[in-house]
Amino acid sequence: MIDMLPGIDCTTSALTAERIRLDVISQNIANANTTRNIDGKPYQRQQVTFETALRRQETGDGGGALTHTVKVAHVENDQRPPVLVYNPAHPDADHAGMVAMPAINLSEEMADLIVASRVFEANLAVVKNSRSMTIQTLSIGKRS
Amino acid sequence: MIDALFNEPNYLAAKKLMDATALRQEAIASNLANLETPHYQRVDVAPSFTTELSQALATQSPFQIGSVQARLEVDTTAVAQNKDGNTVDLETELMEENKNVLAHALEAQLITGSLLRLRLAITGRSA
Repeated sequence: MIDMLPGIDCTTSALTAERIRLDVISQNIANANTTRNIDGKPYQRQQVTFETALRRQETGDGGGALTHTVKVAHVENDQRPPVLVYNPAHPDADHAGMVAMPAINLSEEMADLIVASRVFEANLAVVKNSRSMTIQTLSIGKRS
Repeated sequence: MIDALFNEPNYLAAKKLMDATALRQEAIASNLANLETPHYQRVDVAPSFTTELSQALATQSPFQIGSVQARLEVDTTAVAQNKDGNTVDLETELMEENKNVLAHALEAQLITGSLLRLRLAITGRSA
């Protein structure tokens, strides 16, 4: 398959990675008050780490040496301890009336959410521009 | 034989420039894709390309111009703005991308122009 759109591999991988990140952030926000996970413990905040993968390294024909795609390396549990909140009426309260709540800071999640969507938008702008470049290339030799 | 029609130095140079812009677009796509990757170093078309091309253009030799090759290399002049060691700056990169698209449009028009002039010379009709 010919590479019609320049750099589309990198951009696609970034869009996928950022979407996974958005999924994880929304999961964290949704579970901000989950005191009972599958293992019976409070929900642990999840975190995404990115890493690069070298796409092509050949130098012949001046072709795309050194471009890097991006991928999600891990979705890891954040190791912060749960926050103890006094609420004796809660079904998951211990004998002292303390409930272990997930250590999720909503402001932090919202900031991450905005960054992830900005990066997503930047990559969409690349797709748009690459597309217009390809259209220009295809119209070489036509009278305008 | 017919190759000689397409050996005009300016036409060849425009072709080379267009290859370089396509390559640059790939580099920018890679940089923007790795906006959030720790320790990523931005890549760009090697700065030596323009000097090599203008030197080759000065000789007016189609072979010299044809042998200039654009390569990508790690941009060592970029400095990391954050503690994560990533040297990509979103705004600068988007500006560079827009410039690149315009440069590509210009080069496409140059190539179209020389092809149309060639056709005019062959057929004697502009339409």
